[in-house]
Amino acid sequence: MRRPNLIPVGAVAAIAIVALAVPVLGLPNPTAMSIAHRMAASSAAHWLGQDEYGRDVLSRLLWGARVSLPVAAASATAACLLGTALGLAGGYLGRVAELLALRGTDVVLCFPPLLLALLVVTILGPGAATLIPVLTLVFLPGFVRVVYAGVLSVRSQEYIDAMRVLGAGRLRIMLRTILPNIAGPILVQYSLAAASAVVLESGLSFLGLGVLPPAPSWGLMIAAARSTMTQAPLLLLWPCLALSLTILAMNALCDALRDATDPHRAPDRLPRRLLNLLASGLPPAHGPLLDVRNLTIEIDTPDGPIQPVRDVSLSVAPGTTLAIVGESGSGKTLTGLAVMGLLPSVARVAGGAVRMEGQDVPRLNEAALRRLRGDRMAMVFQDPLSSLNPVHRVGAQIAEIIHAHRALPDSVARDRVVALLRRVGIPDPARRARAYPHELSGGMRQRAMIAMAIANDPKLLIADEPTTALDVTIQAQVLDLLAGLKREHGMGLVLITHSLPVVAEIADQVAVMYAGEIVEQGSVAEVLARPLHPYTAALLRSAPAEDGSMPDSILGTVPPPHALPPGCVFGPRCGLHTALCDAARPPLIDARPGHGTRCIRWRDLVAVELHPCADERHPRAVERHPRARPEDQPVQARCQTVGPLRVSRDPRVEPEDDGNGAAAPEDDRNGTAVPGDDGDGAAAPKNDWHGAAVP
Amino acid sequence: MRWVIRRIGVSLVLVWIVASIVFLALRCVPGDPAELLLSQGGAAPDPAAVAQLREQLGLDRPIWTQYFASFDALLHGDFGNSLQDDSPVATEIWRRLPRTLELIAASTVIALITGLPLGLAAALRRGGLFDRIASWIAAAGLAVPLFVVGTLLVLVFAQGLHWVSAGGYVPLAQAPGRHFALLAMPAVTIALGLFATVFRMTRAAVLDVSMRDYVRTARAKGLRHGRIVIHHVLRNALIPVVTVLALQLGTLLGGTVLVEYVFNYPGLSGMLVEAVNARDYPEVEGIVLVISILFVTLNLLIDLLYGVLDPRVRQA
Repeated sequence: MRRPNLIPVGAVAAIAIVALAVPVLGLPNPTAMSIAHRMAASSAAHWLGQDEYGRDVLSRLLWGARVSLPVAAASATAACLLGTALGLAGGYLGRVAELLALRGTDVVLCFPPLLLALLVVTILGPGAATLIPVLTLVFLPGFVRVVYAGVLSVRSQEYIDAMRVLGAGRLRIMLRTILPNIAGPILVQYSLAAASAVVLESGLSFLGLGVLPPAPSWGLMIAAARSTMTQAPLLLLWPCLALSLTILAMNALCDALRDATDPHRAPDRLPRRLLNLLASGLPPAHGPLLDVRNLTIEIDTPDGPIQPVRDVSLSVAPGTTLAIVGESGSGKTLTGLAVMGLLPSVARVAGGAVRMEGQDVPRLNEAALRRLRGDRMAMVFQDPLSSLNPVHRVGAQIAEIIHAHRALPDSVARDRVVALLRRVGIPDPARRARAYPHELSGGMRQRAMIAMAIANDPKLLIADEPTTALDVTIQAQVLDLLAGLKREHGMGLVLITHSLPVVAEIADQVAVMYAGEIVEQGSVAEVLARPLHPYTAALLRSAPAEDGSMPDSILGTVPPPHALPPGCVFGPRCGLHTALCDAARPPLIDARPGHGTRCIRWRDLVAVELHPCADERHPRAVERHPRARPEDQPVQARCQTVGPLRVSRDPRVEPEDDGNGAAAPEDDRNGTAVPGDDGDGAAAPKNDWHGAAVP
Repeated sequence: MRWVIRRIGVSLVLVWIVASIVFLALRCVPGDPAELLLSQGGAAPDPAAVAQLREQLGLDRPIWTQYFASFDALLHGDFGNSLQDDSPVATEIWRRLPRTLELIAASTVIALITGLPLGLAAALRRGGLFDRIASWIAAAGLAVPLFVVGTLLVLVFAQGLHWVSAGGYVPLAQAPGRHFALLAMPAVTIALGLFATVFRMTRAAVLDVSMRDYVRTARAKGLRHGRIVIHHVLRNALIPVVTVLALQLGTLLGGTVLVEYVFNYPGLSGMLVEAVNARDYPEVEGIVLVISILFVTLNLLIDLLYGVLDPRVRQA
């Protein structure tokens, strides 16, 4: 529970203190009449004047708090204790107790509260003594339900089982473990009950059926002042004000308590800032379909801005597929949303450009964006159940996207919807068009999403994990469908996925993302066959192998965007990690033509990957080379096929040796580490990796 | 359809429970109910009067006989006779019920046509000046009790400005203009509290729905802003608003009791206050029963409306 807003807490406390202190304030007797001074205006002795019997108004107001509040407190407390006991019993003692406690108290809910009170007052007669039990009864079901729900959610948790195993008695378990867990909701319910008790008490007293005269209740004072309101409107105003402010304070307390105890209440959204875009170069005349240049996305958080996507550059040509691969939290989806101009309101494009057919998406106004979205570019979202509107029929949701961009008669659009559903392989499309999303299977929902996205033959389709929730056969069908659409319409496809087999099957180009950056980029054939970044290599090893051997997992987790390591973001999980890697953030360098990597030690990686003597294909095996001194010579001696592996043993780059890897000269880097398989290693250092140390 | 039938069945059971409780409430209190009803401020009532009341209420017969007799009478629309003037309670109830229904309908309509659009507008400009002002008005609407609002309205508009008379009722057929003029103040009074609830819930629901994935999908489709707001956001936000409306029904019906009293409106609830004051049990019993049945029926209607709004409910 967070600390609640203290203003309402203080206000309610102040009212309670005044009510408690009234007898010692030396006020005139609230029931002492003085007919001679009927409705006298305010005076030194009577600050707020006198009422229709000449009684002191201020005194009656303050004494009124002593009538309303104890009734409220007593009934709320009684209902709280009784309701908590019943709720605990109902939640913990088995079915019979559950039935009696819940259904029994639910009967009360069949009556409007005021009516139930009036029924009891008719039988028992009016008075405070009747009010308290009536109000207790009215609030009882609320407490029973809150406590019961709390018990249900707590009792299944493991520590309750643990206590049982330890031999704790039921009563002790209930009091010790469950009560503190549900204290928050009970407190909220208590303040709600107390506030509505004040409302009900004053209402009944106003009708003459609650507190009896001459006791100074606010409801009674209002009722009495009604008859004289033309002569003395202030007499009416004071009790109205006292009553309303008290209830306002109690309601505010309820809200504050609810905010403090409810973990789901989000803090208010941060103010929106203007897009702060860096100037980007001239748009290319005949550029690719989609061209993303140095895209950086920023999100303001209470702890300062974070950048979940940094310096991402991508391009997609018509009729080709770019796959963006990475673990969850790597920034793939945010990148896709940025392309669509659909970033959540807390996120913004802080730098770079997104050009769709030459138009800079982040700079377009909403109307221009709207014309682009759903027409020339479309997106298939990850979770089709939550991404489809639950209250509209699937067909209507697809027709909607057609109508948004094409002026077509309804019947034509309807035929088009059925044709689309048939195209994505949904059987009986005319009937399925009339179904609601929850009536379709997961695979069909995903197909419906795709049908919706391709309804206007988009030039670019972004598919975010389109196969994640599907079983293998459906996955293959959805991928075939996407490939077919790409061929038929020359559509560019951006496929966001974490699955390398999917990439291998469908993509032409691949960008591997890690912790918000592209760490490796190139053609699928290149990247999957010869990964030049340890993360890609690790991902490849973590994919299920065809020979059935257990895949290796990558140790550690993706660093959160507010706690990125210095230098290379993959450093802490990397087997090739050296002090040099932490010196500065490595740039994306073209290790081979069209094949970029953000690893400064990509040559070492190639060496190890191709090293026939590396008995283990895990980065940790690589790790041994620089660190395990005794093995150095044997490795070099044993291995004759790839030449001297000097690079990983170069004393000048090893932290163990001099701790100053950044001082390594660049001359002996060239060529030596790259096995002579294709010889293009020499072309790589055009983008000198040393640049990384001094960006 | 099966869902609708089951829901109606549940409502019938609720009505039976309510009727039984109203029947039992008087008979299960300790002591002689007739003596209890006639006792006034501790003075022992006249034994002859007690005996007469016992006979009139049928309290001298065995309880099961009373129970079945009263249910038999209820099914024939007979609520017994008033203790005050011995007139049939049912006649008076049927005469007054439409007026209370009209009051409820008018205030609900007022609350919805103000609360829904203002809640939507406040949510769309969250944190803005309009949002803050409207939220304060709603907080005040929840804090000021109905009878206070009613009394203050009378003070300002009837006593101060002399725009309308302080209360009363004129049948629609007799003078339509004056009928609605007299209906306005009580209806607005009830509507204020209801408005506050509808406003707050609409605002919260719109904010919640706006963040849903399907709203993002709607934006991804390139739909116009207005269509997204009405067709996707508001349409889904209505579901929790209707839920809250159902929860507020009890307060709404209770509110009519106070408001009819304040404005001297001759509805069912105003009659209830008189009956409670006179401790006229048959009349109280009849009115509480009718209002409770109304409560159960309105709850049923709202549940059915819920099914119309949310196709997922129809399956369950």
